[in-house]
Amino acid sequence: MKTSDLIDSHARSATPVKRLRPPFVRAAVWLLLAAAVLALLALAHGLRPDLSARLRQDQFVTGIAATLATAVLAALASFRLSLPESSRWWCLLPLPAVSVWISTIGYACLTDWVAMDPDGVRMGEAAQCFATLLLTSVPLSIAMLIMLRHAAALRPALVSATGGLAVAAITSFVLALIHQFDATIMMLIWNLGTAATIAALATLLGPTMFSWIASRVPPLPPVS
Amino acid sequence: MPLSNTPPIHQAKNRRLVLVEPESVQERAAPQTDWSALMASAQDGDRNAYRALLTQIEPYVRSIARRCFRHPADVEDAVQDVLTIHSIRHSYDPQRPFIPWLAAIANHRVIDRLRHETRKRAREIELSPEHETFAQAHANHDGIAERALIEAIDKLPPEQRDAVRMLKLNEMSLKEASKASGRSVGALKVATHRALANLRKLIGGGSTS
Repeated sequence: MKTSDLIDSHARSATPVKRLRPPFVRAAVWLLLAAAVLALLALAHGLRPDLSARLRQDQFVTGIAATLATAVLAALASFRLSLPESSRWWCLLPLPAVSVWISTIGYACLTDWVAMDPDGVRMGEAAQCFATLLLTSVPLSIAMLIMLRHAAALRPALVSATGGLAVAAITSFVLALIHQFDATIMMLIWNLGTAATIAALATLLGPTMFSWIASRVPPLPPVS
Repeated sequence: MPLSNTPPIHQAKNRRLVLVEPESVQERAAPQTDWSALMASAQDGDRNAYRALLTQIEPYVRSIARRCFRHPADVEDAVQDVLTIHSIRHSYDPQRPFIPWLAAIANHRVIDRLRHETRKRAREIELSPEHETFAQAHANHDGIAERALIEAIDKLPPEQRDAVRMLKLNEMSLKEASKASGRSVGALKVATHRALANLRKLIGGGSTS
């Protein structure tokens, strides 16, 4: 096809489109969706029974605050990176929060090392955790893929990695508020394992998924 | 709005482009002061504005593509690839300068294309004329090797020679060859096996068993 023909065909199919809102507004919309998911899960399953006691422990509060901060900053970085003229250095935005998050897990692991025993692994709890994990990460990943589909033609790998980190952090935050981990080994498996798996899956599959979604979901028309 | 009248932040963004754009392109791009306005109209559905914009930015995009690709067909493909801004035109914010937005997309697409080309070159080999085959069977034969093979087949014992001719040269099935020669399938298989072993020896310089 000649370039002039391509221009003609693009011009002929140029319908009005709705401009993207600023990235922080879009990140806020996504985080509101995450809050809605958390609220629904809390209603259906209930928060962990010892939450008020845990909220008095500095280590727990630091941990969940760092997780939440990671989610907020990674979501903001992801929406920012999806715009063509943004600097790629935005990917470093969640780094301080991620460092604190990983440090708290590492600290818990070191101080509670003796608490790890085979009795700590409970499969019943694990199955419920898995359900929470899927109910949180799947809808939020799909929402993010649709909201960021325009990144398919730009820098899909970086956007997927930061987006995956945001989903992983939110999932970890929800798990920490809903499920009671009485054994450190389970906390470690769920916290680090799920976060690493979600982030790795997003980085590996994100670019392909973005192209797939972008080819099927066109830009939205403006609201009249 | 002319570029010279843009606020300082716009000038700073455009000045950054000097690092990546050839001078001639800057000169050509500078008069295109209404690209931002054209894109804003295009986002509202103005097809004429969109056609004008795409026609005007094409030489600019082509200059970026030319820095990375030498072959005209590759440059053309890269230009058309950059014109995929069509599918992400909603990501442009008319409050911000247009050229950095376009240049960023063009650079991403061109680099992506270069990566793709490099990967393709690593696993594919381009065919040269001597790799090409022709429709007529005799045009593809290597005369010397073919003659050596035919002479070697002629030297085989009759039952092996017939088996090879029927099963390998004429590509008959075992059933067809069995019917044509009146020999059993098993005998044909054994003869072919021995014939191939003998051919290997003959072509390698040995004699028939």
